[in-house]
Amino acid sequence: MGGRLRLVSRLLPSGNQRAITVLVIGLIVFFSLTTPVTFVSTANAANLLRQMSFNAVIALGVVVVMAGGGLDISVGAVMSMSAAVVMGFQPHGVPVAVVMALAFGVAVGAINGVMVAWFDIVPFVATLGTMTIASGLVHEYSHDMPIPGANVAFTVLGGGNLGPIPVPVLFMIGLAIVIHVTMTHTPFGRAVYAVGGDFEAARLAGINVALTRFSTYVISGFCSSLAGILLASELNTSSTQLGIDTPLLILAAVIMGGASLLGGRGTAVGALLGVLALGLLATGLDGLGVQTAQQTIIRAVIFVAIVVLDVVSVGRLWARLRLRTGLSRGREATPM
Amino acid sequence: MGTPLRESDVAEKLAGLEHRRVSVAKAVLSGGRRYLTFVLLLFLLACASVLSPSFLSANNLVSVAYGSSVLGIVALGQTMLLITGNFDMSVAGVIGAAGIATLLLMPFGAIPAIFAGLGVGLAVGFLNGFIVIRTNASPFLVTLGTQLLLYGAGLAITQSQTLYGDDPFFNWIGQGVVLGVPVTLLAFLALAALFQVVLARTPYGRCLYAIGLNREAARLSGVPVNRIRLMSFMLSGLMAALAGVALASRLNSITANAGLGYDFLSIIAAVLGGTSLFGGRGGAARTVAGTLVLGLLDNVLVLLGMTFAFEDIVRGAVFLLVVGFDRLSREER
Repeated sequence: MGGRLRLVSRLLPSGNQRAITVLVIGLIVFFSLTTPVTFVSTANAANLLRQMSFNAVIALGVVVVMAGGGLDISVGAVMSMSAAVVMGFQPHGVPVAVVMALAFGVAVGAINGVMVAWFDIVPFVATLGTMTIASGLVHEYSHDMPIPGANVAFTVLGGGNLGPIPVPVLFMIGLAIVIHVTMTHTPFGRAVYAVGGDFEAARLAGINVALTRFSTYVISGFCSSLAGILLASELNTSSTQLGIDTPLLILAAVIMGGASLLGGRGTAVGALLGVLALGLLATGLDGLGVQTAQQTIIRAVIFVAIVVLDVVSVGRLWARLRLRTGLSRGREATPM
Repeated sequence: MGTPLRESDVAEKLAGLEHRRVSVAKAVLSGGRRYLTFVLLLFLLACASVLSPSFLSANNLVSVAYGSSVLGIVALGQTMLLITGNFDMSVAGVIGAAGIATLLLMPFGAIPAIFAGLGVGLAVGFLNGFIVIRTNASPFLVTLGTQLLLYGAGLAITQSQTLYGDDPFFNWIGQGVVLGVPVTLLAFLALAALFQVVLARTPYGRCLYAIGLNREAARLSGVPVNRIRLMSFMLSGLMAALAGVALASRLNSITANAGLGYDFLSIIAAVLGGTSLFGGRGGAARTVAGTLVLGLLDNVLVLLGMTFAFEDIVRGAVFLLVVGFDRLSREER
């Protein structure tokens, strides 16, 4: 009994994830009450989960990078290029296409990792460079045209269902379990958090800081290309328009889920909850008939609020507004 | 994350002020970095003039510079903010929002409309600065949020339509020519000269560097850190708004997403020039060079018969090469 309780308490959100859990539950309750007919249905749930699974797969990679004190804004471009590669290589067979797409993602991740870990280039700058190159490659490779699918079997990966559950959701859950276990139960996971917390302390503790940072970017590249493959499969086409606002969306989701630009924080469960919150918001507001423009505004306000609450706890914010004292001597935000 | 070294530190170090030896190779690399962007600029000019005999004509050079001038204006504001160690991603949203405000208010006369557009930029800059300074939140994320907010507001106001506007004085800003030089280009160069003087010769400029190098030290030295950071955010917003007005005037129209990509591009232009992302290092003239390198790259690729898509690939590669060289030329932290 005690063991089971401990298991439950371990799975329950702790600390950083409490706010996002409350937000997710609040959103579900709010939309269930306001649009009971459209929102509370298995079809809607399955659709919501399918749509969130692509971003969730990326977020699971990004949360690893951010836990290690890094940042990856190349994810959207990598996803887009992987989608183009997986469609372009279809004439050679689906396995070849998938392997090529994953290889592309891993390669970009490795380039990011080498630049950040060994050349000590700022993560924002390094991944901004590869983002620019990758998005150029997408246009060049696909000649600015969508690449249509040539194989019906391939569409199962992103568009198929296994019973009532969409196949990409299974990928998302599988990847989430792998990342969760890796981050919480392996020496590598502990090393990532240690490196993200303090490079120097991690180095003195005997952790290979450069290799750990490198690995996080490779994981992120792999996840982004997996998301690209799944998305291309669902759409059965590639498009140069994919992934343009992905970096922002993923950052929002991951930070809402408890990760920090300062590093050392962030969990797989938090990343899933963050993406789920954004997905719930989009689906629910659609159901309420809210226009895209107003949805964007709502998302922006929530994003800024979460970013601010990331560094200032609500209590301290109130105290500060009351006392009108100067800057806090608390945690210092980095430029990025 | 440590404070990046300034090149000028190298001279001091050679004088033994910090009791450290700087190898000759490092000094050469460091000197190389200082002029790298300008060397790159000359190299691209040479490439282009070999590729096309008509390239070096005054007309073509002016048109290349004119093409980069809107980005250049944004990058100048971004540079002032980067020197303090802050970011402004909202410029992409401000460009659209300022253009929309200007075109919407055009019936009240061009000049009030333009002031309204610039006012939008100042207001957004104030909001960014206020949130960042008051809460200590990450400038990157906060301004990303305001960018999204402005985009949403722009879409809501324009109902996702393109706005059109026409007025003689308004058109002059983006399309007019004075003594053979486009007005927007003149504004860009004049602002660059002004900012360069401000950075190099005024207390405000020195305060920007001081804040970027070490905010706490600047505060203890009596620099009004928060006021100057707020001013820099507002300056960046104002420059982005000016770029938005110029863009709207050049096209006689604007959409909510007109500024798409200007956030990253303006940072790329500044960093290409040698401005540091961590503050304390950079300058307006360097940003002009960085902007022109981007403009020339595009032009050379067009001359080579490359497609539009290649621009991004080459742009990214050049960016990473310059940043990598920059990293190698600095001493280990």
